[in-house]
Amino acid sequence: MTTAQSALLGIRTSGDYFVSTFLFGIMFGIAAATIGFENWQALLMSGSVFTASGQFAALEFWQAPLPYGTIALSVFLVSTRNILLGMAMTFHFDGHSLPRRIVWLFLLNDPGVVNSYRVAPEVDRLGYVTGYGVSMMTSWLCSTFIGLNAAHWFANLNLGAVDFAGPLVIATMMMLFFKGSSSSPVPWLASGIAALLLYEFGAPDFIILLGSVLLGMTIAIIKERRRNA
Amino acid sequence: MPDQQTTLIAIGMMALIVYLTRLTGYFVGLQLRHIQGIRPVLEALPGCAFMAILVPATRQGSLSEIVAMACVVLIMWRSNNVILATGTGLAVLLLAGPYLDTLL
Repeated sequence: MTTAQSALLGIRTSGDYFVSTFLFGIMFGIAAATIGFENWQALLMSGSVFTASGQFAALEFWQAPLPYGTIALSVFLVSTRNILLGMAMTFHFDGHSLPRRIVWLFLLNDPGVVNSYRVAPEVDRLGYVTGYGVSMMTSWLCSTFIGLNAAHWFANLNLGAVDFAGPLVIATMMMLFFKGSSSSPVPWLASGIAALLLYEFGAPDFIILLGSVLLGMTIAIIKERRRNA
Repeated sequence: MPDQQTTLIAIGMMALIVYLTRLTGYFVGLQLRHIQGIRPVLEALPGCAFMAILVPATRQGSLSEIVAMACVVLIMWRSNNVILATGTGLAVLLLAGPYLDTLL
């Protein structure tokens, strides 16, 4: 399958996450308008940053004078999972020029990566993930715009109840992994147990992420060595 | 609200940081790919990261959030329908949340 056909496949199969991204975009638009962003500023942020969690994290500190260091650190910490997504795609973007990979990685996105594990082997993964990313970007920009312009309708609505929407969407992706990936679930379960223990010991979020991913990785290495022994 | 110039600088900084996280992982992976048997290890990483986010979020969640999470997991297990699962989870949070959270 060609790269263009794979990109179209990515767009066509992204409907589910297009809708959930749309919901987050509206919430982001409302939050940005409430803080005082002009429409073009919020749209510029959505178009260039393209990450819900990072943008919401930054809004928490958006006041004059802007604390650049705090914003940079919080955006980096919530974006660290992108490093792991990129590492997971190491063997899947072969066959493309380096400049193309560098440019197209801008559209690397969680649901695109998760669903790329489920498509047929002949699909070009970089094309698929990029097509998925184009769809997510379209959803993210359109919904940010709607949220910005509809913010006054929601002025009296408490959106705090949907703060948990992020983990719910991540749970859908995790379930797709559990059901559709050929990888063993043992490292993921070990990561979950490690995350729970670290949380109970009061570790900060970044340490929980680091500790549980390191344990999951260790288990995966041990399993691979045993398989090859 | 900060002035226009500082806003633009902050947005540019954020865009650069996020883009670099996307690039860094891929290029670190390229440096590791010669190691025999590394592929399944790298491919397990996103799931590990998702679990590291999900488990603490659920552990500290209210009753309605735990019920919403259970609904999402159950629906995904049975149907793989992301919209139905997310919609049901959100409906639990918004509609049943005020009642469920008074139970504990």
